[in-house]
Amino acid sequence: MADLTLRRALPADRERVLRWLQEYGVYLGVALLLLVNIAFTPHFLSAENFRTQAVQVAPVVIVALGMALAIGSEGVDLSVGSVMALSTSLVALYMGYGPWIALIVAVVGGAAVGLVNGSLIAFIGVQPIVATLALMVGARGLALVLLPQLEDIRDPGMATLGSGEFAGVPYVVLIAAALALVVAFVVRRTTFGRQLLAIGDSRPAAKLAGLPVRRVLIVVYVVCGVLAAVAGFLATARLSASDPTSLGNLMELSAITAVVVGGTPLTGGRVRIGGTVAGAVLIQLLTATLIKHDLEPSWTQIAQAVVIILAVYAARERGKR
Amino acid sequence: MAAANEPPERHGPDGPGGPARPAGPPPADARDVRDGGPGDAVPGARDREADDGVRIGKDVRIGKDGRAGEDGRDGAEQRPAVLSVRGLTKRFPGVLALDGVDFTARAGEVHALVGENGAGKSTLIKVLTGVYRPDEGELSYRGEPASFATPLAAQQAGISTIYQEVNLIPLMSVARNLLLGREPRRRGGLIDFGRMHRESERMLLDYGVRVDVRRPLAELGVGAQQMVALARAVSAAGRTDVVVMDEPTSSLEPREVETLFGVIGRLRADGVAVVYVSHRLDELYAVCDAVTVLRDGRLVHTGPLAGLDRLRLVSLMLGREMGEVRAEGLTKFTGDHGTGEEPVLRAEGLTRRHELHDVSLEVRPGEVVGLGGLLGSGRTETAKAIAGALPLGAGRVTVAGAPVRTGSTPAAIRAGISLLPEDRKSEGIVPGLSVRENIALAALPRMSRYGLVSEARIDAVVETFVSRLRIKAASPHQKVGELSGGNQQKVLLARWLAMQPKVLLLDEPTRGIDVGAKAEVQKLVDELAEDGLGVLLISSDVEELIEGSDRVVVLRDGAVVGELTGDDVTEDRLMEAIAAAAEPGTAPAPAPGAAGAKAAGHG
Amino acid sequence: MKPHARTAARTLLAVALSASLALAAGCAKSEDDDEGSTGAAAGSEEAKGSEQKVSGGSGPTCVIGDYGAEEIDLAGATVGFSQSEKEANPFRIAETASIKAEAEERGVELLAANAQSQFSKQISDVQDLIAKGADLLVIAPLNSDGWDPVLKSAADKKIPIVTIDRKINAEPCKDYVSFIGSDFTEQGKRAADKMIEATGGKGEIAILLGTPGNNVTTERTKGFKDRIAEKAPDLKVVFEQTGEFAREKGQQVTEQLIQSNPEITGIYAENDEMGLGAVNALKGAGKEPGAVKIVTIDGTRNAVQGIVDGWIDAVIESNPRFGPLAFETLDAFTKGEEVGQDIVIEDSEYTADNAEADLGKAF
Repeated sequence: MADLTLRRALPADRERVLRWLQEYGVYLGVALLLLVNIAFTPHFLSAENFRTQAVQVAPVVIVALGMALAIGSEGVDLSVGSVMALSTSLVALYMGYGPWIALIVAVVGGAAVGLVNGSLIAFIGVQPIVATLALMVGARGLALVLLPQLEDIRDPGMATLGSGEFAGVPYVVLIAAALALVVAFVVRRTTFGRQLLAIGDSRPAAKLAGLPVRRVLIVVYVVCGVLAAVAGFLATARLSASDPTSLGNLMELSAITAVVVGGTPLTGGRVRIGGTVAGAVLIQLLTATLIKHDLEPSWTQIAQAVVIILAVYAARERGKR
Repeated sequence: MAAANEPPERHGPDGPGGPARPAGPPPADARDVRDGGPGDAVPGARDREADDGVRIGKDVRIGKDGRAGEDGRDGAEQRPAVLSVRGLTKRFPGVLALDGVDFTARAGEVHALVGENGAGKSTLIKVLTGVYRPDEGELSYRGEPASFATPLAAQQAGISTIYQEVNLIPLMSVARNLLLGREPRRRGGLIDFGRMHRESERMLLDYGVRVDVRRPLAELGVGAQQMVALARAVSAAGRTDVVVMDEPTSSLEPREVETLFGVIGRLRADGVAVVYVSHRLDELYAVCDAVTVLRDGRLVHTGPLAGLDRLRLVSLMLGREMGEVRAEGLTKFTGDHGTGEEPVLRAEGLTRRHELHDVSLEVRPGEVVGLGGLLGSGRTETAKAIAGALPLGAGRVTVAGAPVRTGSTPAAIRAGISLLPEDRKSEGIVPGLSVRENIALAALPRMSRYGLVSEARIDAVVETFVSRLRIKAASPHQKVGELSGGNQQKVLLARWLAMQPKVLLLDEPTRGIDVGAKAEVQKLVDELAEDGLGVLLISSDVEELIEGSDRVVVLRDGAVVGELTGDDVTEDRLMEAIAAAAEPGTAPAPAPGAAGAKAAGHG
Repeated sequence: MKPHARTAARTLLAVALSASLALAAGCAKSEDDDEGSTGAAAGSEEAKGSEQKVSGGSGPTCVIGDYGAEEIDLAGATVGFSQSEKEANPFRIAETASIKAEAEERGVELLAANAQSQFSKQISDVQDLIAKGADLLVIAPLNSDGWDPVLKSAADKKIPIVTIDRKINAEPCKDYVSFIGSDFTEQGKRAADKMIEATGGKGEIAILLGTPGNNVTTERTKGFKDRIAEKAPDLKVVFEQTGEFAREKGQQVTEQLIQSNPEITGIYAENDEMGLGAVNALKGAGKEPGAVKIVTIDGTRNAVQGIVDGWIDAVIESNPRFGPLAFETLDAFTKGEEVGQDIVIEDSEYTADNAEADLGKAF
C-alpha cells in the first residue's frame, strides 16, 4: 500500500516540476546563461555588450510577438521571414519618398500578406501551416521580383533609427519593448485577446458561442504580417541596406522557437508574451555565448535543438496528464 | 472465459448454433415486457425481478435458464450460425463498452443490430470485424474459435464491412477501384484493361449498378460508390460469409436504398449472413429477419424481428416499459409552466439534405418543448440548425416575430437564441480557460468598451451566476476543464444566461453528469422557464423528456411525425409516436391549436 | 540565391516535427549556395570590366578528336547556356551578362536558361537546350554531382560542354571538354598575403566563414590558413564563425566578436558582403577606419568603394566574366586546336593603390 501511494506521489511531483519548468524554465535558462557568461566570457559585463545583445534580439522579439498570437490561435505563421524580405524590398523601393512613407508601404505589404494568410485559413479552411507555407514561398519570390539584389540605403533618418539611441537605449530596442507591452496588453485586456485564446483552445466551442472566429483569425495573421514588416524595416535600418535574398531567412524558426521555449503550448489557447520575449533572449544569449567562445557554428544549432526539445518535452509531459 | 467473471445467471441466450425459437405471443406480464420483450425468442432473456428505481441497463438478466439454449438444441430448424460471439466484454479506460454480450449471425439471415447512443453497437461491430480485440469472450466463425488480428484478416476470412463513408480512391476509375490489386493481366504483366472493364461491369450489374466503369469513382453518387465498395469487398474475399453494414443508408437517396435492399436480398439468397445497423425502423422491418438490441453495453434482446412490434422494439431500445404508470416522477421537473400566447421561437420548414426534412416547431415563452425521437432522428440537427450552427437548404427561423438569418451562430445569438450543445466537452466548454472566462465568453463584447474588457463588469456577472447556479469551483480562476461534468454544464448555462437569451436550446443537458447535479440542472431549467424563457429540450432520457416538457415534438428520420400535448405527454405516447410506421394516423394526432395545453403533471 | 522551395520544405519538416534536429538541419545551408557574392553593385551592370586571364598552368589538354565530336564553325553554331542561380547577386548578373555580350559580339546564337537554384530544373534545362538544337553547351553547374543523364544525352549527340565557375564530377575530355574557373584556395592564399601585409604579420585575426559545407568556404579557408601558418606564424587566428555569406550575419557576428575580443587586429571575410557587414559593426562600435584590418574576396563595387573609404584594406577578385574565355575555348576547340582541360583564371585584386582607379572595373 505504502509502495502504491509512493508511486502515485512521484508523478505528481514530477508533474509539478515540469509545470514549473514550462512556466518559468525560460527565465531560469536566461539567468543561468547570464551567470555562466559573467563568469567565463571576457568583457561580458559591459553596457556595450548588453546593448549589442538587445539590438540583435529586437527583430526576433517583434516577429515572435506575432508568432505567439498565431500559435495561441492554434495556428502558425511560416511566412514571417519572407514578409521581412518583402518589407525590406518595399522599403528600398519607396525610400525615395522618405522613411515614413517607406515604413507605411512596408506595413501595408505585411498586412496584405497577413490578410491573404488569414483569409485562406478562416474562409477556405486551409491548414495554417500550409497556407502560410504558400505565402512564405510567394512573399519571398515577390520580394526578389521587386528588388532582385541587395541595395544600399543611405538615408540619414534610417541610419539614426538603426544605430541611434535614447537615454542609452537603442531605438530598435525601445520599439521592440513598446510593441511587446502593447501585444501583452491586447492579449490580457481586450475582447480580441480573450476571443483569440478561446478560439485557440477550442474552435468548435468558440464557434458555437458565437465568437467572430473568422475575423479574429484574420486579425491575428494581419498583426503577424505587420509585426514582421516592422521587424524587416528595423533590420533594414540597422543594416543600412535592403537585402531581400537573405533577410529573414529562417526567421520563422527563430520566432517559433522563442514562442515555444517561452512556454506557449503549440496546441493553442495560451499566449505568454513575457515568456516569448525571454525565449528570444535565451536563444540570443545561447548564440552569443557560443560565438564569443568561438565554438563551431554547428554547436549553436545543436544547442538550440536541445533547448527546443527540452521545452517541447516539458509541454508534452504536462499535456499527457 | 467470460462466464467466469459473470454472475451465473447471465449466460448468453444462444451460443453458436443457438437456440432462438420462433416468437411467442406477447406475454401480458409487464415484467417480461421490460427487458425481454414479447417477441423474445429466448425464454431466459427476460428480467424476472421487479427492480424499480434505477432500471436502465442495470438489471438486465439474460435469464437463469439461458443454459437451455445450448448448441444443437433446435438446431435442425435453425439456419446455421456463421459468426457468433459469447460473453463478449470490451473495456475502454473508464468505460465498459460491452458487457458480456452474445450475438449470432446466421447464414442467409439479415440480422439487425440496434441500440441508442453508447449501447455498444459500434464496439461490437469493430470486434466482429477485427478492429478491436475483445477483453473477454469467445468469437467463433464457421463453427470454430477464431480471432482476427486486423480488419484485413477478418476481410480475408470472408467478413466484409461497408461503412457510411466509402474508403476507396475517388480519382481512380470505378473499374480500377473494384479490382485494385488484382487487375487482370496480359502476358508480360500489363493490365488487360478490356477484360478489367468487362469484368467490373458484370460485377456491378449484379449489384444493380449500371455505370461507365472507366469514369472516376468520385463521379458516382454516394449510393453507387457504396455498391462499388460492397462489390469490391465481397469479391476481394473470394468467399464471403458475413457482410456487416454500418448505417449504410444514412446518406442514400430513396432510389439507392431500394437498390441496396435488392442487393441485401440477393446476399441473403446466397446464404450470406448480413449484420445490419440502422436507426430507421422502417428499414429494419423491410429487410431484417432477426434483431439484437443492445443498451449500455449489454444485450437486452435477441430474436426474430417478425412478431416483435415496433413499440416493443422502441421500448427495448430506450429501456422503458410499456404501460408502466408511475405515481411519482424521478426528475426534478415540476412540469407545469404557464405559457405565453405568442411563440418566442418559430422554426418553419427547416430542411437540410439527408438530415432534416421540413421540420417546423414553435416554442412559447415559459414553455419547455421536448424534442423526442431516436438517435439519428434529427434532434441535434434541428437544435443546431435553429442556433445557426448548421447551414440549411431551406427554412425560416423567427424569434419574437423577427426573422433570424440562418446558418450564422452570431446572428442567432444576437436574436436571443442560445444553444447548450450535446457534446459539452468539445463544443461547449473551452477547457483551458478559467470558469470566469468561460462564463464571460459569449457576452464579452457586451462587457467591453472600445474592445477593452471591463474586469469589474465581468466579475459582477460571474459572481451572480456562480452563486445563482451554485457552481462549485475552487475559484473563478480555476480551469473549467478541471471541474466536474455537472459544474461544467452549469458554467455553460451561466455563459448563456449572461446573454439574457429569449430561447434556450438544451441538447442533452444532463448527459454524463452525476445524479445530484442532474437534479440541479433540471430544476434550473424549470426555473428559467418560469421566468419566461422559451426552452427546447432534447434528451435521450425519456423520463427527463416527458417530465420536463410541456409539449413534445416527435422526430423520425429528420421529419416531424407527431406532437404530444396535454395529457398525451407520456412515455407510452412518445414511444408509440416514435414507433409508428410512416402511415398517417398511427401517430398521435398533432394538436396544432393546443396553445394553452398543459402537460400532464407528474407530481 | 536561396533555394526557396527547399527552405520551405525544410521549414515545414522542422516545424511539423517540432523537433529540432530538423531545425539544426534546416539551419545548415546546402552547398548549393554559391560563392556568396550577395550582391552589392548599386544598379547599373556593365558586362565590360576586367577581362579574365588564364593563370599560366600547363595541365592536360583536349582536342576535338579525342572527344569524338566533329569540327564546326562557332560563328554559325548555336550555343546553349545553363545558369545555375537566379541573377540576383552581382556575381551571377555579371556572369550571365558576360556570356550574353560575348555571344552577341561573335554573332553566335545563344539559348539561355536559368535553373533558379533547383538542380532538377537545371538538368531539364540542359536537356531542353539539347533538344532545341544547341551545338555547344556552356554550363554553370549548381551541383558537382548528378550530371550523368545530361552527359549521356550530350554524348549521344557529341555536343562539347564547357563548365564555368564550378566543376562537375566527371571525366574531362570525355564527358565534358574543359572547366574554366577560379582557384578558390589560391584566392584564400592571396587574401592571407594581403592580411599579412596589412597587419605586419602580427596580432590576432578573425575569419568570417562562408556557408558551412560549401566547397568555396572550405577552399578559401584552407588557402588562407595554410599561407598564414607558412608565412606569418605570429598572426593568430583566434576566431572563426560563419556569416553565411550574408551581410546581416557578418554584421551580427562581428558585433559579438569586437566585444569579446576588443584587441582583434584583422578580419578576413570570405566574401565582400560579410566584409561590409563587419564594416557596419565596426562603425556601430565607434571604431575608426583602419583600426581593424579587413580583407575580403569577390571584388564587388561596394567592397572596392570600402577600400576607397579606408575601411577595407584589400579585396581579392573572383572574376565572373567568363564570356570571352568560354567562347575562346569553344572556338579553339571546334577548330580542332588543343585546349586545356582545367583552365584556371587569374583573378586580379584591389588595394588602396588601385581601388579608386579601378572602381569602374568592379562588378
